[in-house]
Amino acid sequence: MARIHVVYESGEPARTIEFDPREAPFQHDGRPASILDVLLGHGVPLEHACGGSCACTTCHVVVTRGAEFLSPAEENEEDMLDRAPGLTPTSRLGCQAVITDPNAEVHVRVPRHTVNLISGHGS
Amino acid sequence: MAVEHTARVEDIVEYGPETRGLWLRLATPLAFLPGQFLSCLLPVGGTTLTRPYSIASDPESTERVEIVVDLVPNGPGSHHLFSLVAGDTVRYTGPWGTFALEEAPSSETIFIADGTGIAPIRPMLRRALATAVRPVTLLYGHRAGAPLLFADELAAPHPGYTMHVVPSAALLEETRRRWVDGDTDRTRHFFICGVGAIVHELRDLLRGAGYARQAVRYEKW
Repeated sequence: MARIHVVYESGEPARTIEFDPREAPFQHDGRPASILDVLLGHGVPLEHACGGSCACTTCHVVVTRGAEFLSPAEENEEDMLDRAPGLTPTSRLGCQAVITDPNAEVHVRVPRHTVNLISGHGS
Repeated sequence: MAVEHTARVEDIVEYGPETRGLWLRLATPLAFLPGQFLSCLLPVGGTTLTRPYSIASDPESTERVEIVVDLVPNGPGSHHLFSLVAGDTVRYTGPWGTFALEEAPSSETIFIADGTGIAPIRPMLRRALATAVRPVTLLYGHRAGAPLLFADELAAPHPGYTMHVVPSAALLEETRRRWVDGDTDRTRHFFICGVGAIVHELRDLLRGAGYARQAVRYEKW
């Protein structure tokens, strides 16, 4: 089974999900078997204001382990990440980073803040 | 998680059999930038769908905004919004999105909209015209059989502003002819919005022709 371990900067309890990528999609948002798809399909929250269509940065995660198990970022994801607050070299969008290896182990951190360009709304 | 707000459907504009504008009266005034979207939380089939809808109205109106909805075949979110009548409630979060324009770039600005991709472009264009010091152009792709939203308003004359309407299928070639083959100026800024592959095709054409990555902004629905 593949595993995703999620830590939240907001202080919410960390979660670990075990799943079989071949059973994707697990729900309706983000690319099938993406981090967003896996988390939401297992009842684990991750913001996704655009519905997982790579039109915002609210599902930004920082990958702390197992980046090699994720599908490479495409140009539209890179363009979006350019504008993500708290960008790191291992930042990904949860809706785009897909796990296909049934033995993958991926650890991610969910930043505290999401961006909406205007303070006082959204996050 | 994001703070939820509520809005009431105040008016429904029938732009065509499969395209509607929903004017929402917001319970909480909304500060947003031209180009941003609302994330609607739609109760469908026992679950909550999160679906983004660009704000087509100007940010100066903070308590009443318009979103444009296309009826998508097998799209439960759009079918739900099409079932709403005046007085119904919509839950949303936002505003969201980084495809936004606070003021016109210092160089020539080109907006390219395909069909209802005009929704976020409309307030961006109006803001650009209010702040631009260089020419502003709108290239507007018209889908056969679909309404040309806001056509009269967008065609209104303004100093330094030009609008061209072409069939959607001609958007790529028209862009190539005007801004790739037409001259060697690569200082323009582009804002592109539409549905489907054409958005990335336009992006790739312009970046491949030498325009800076950051000068070619886009939103693909």
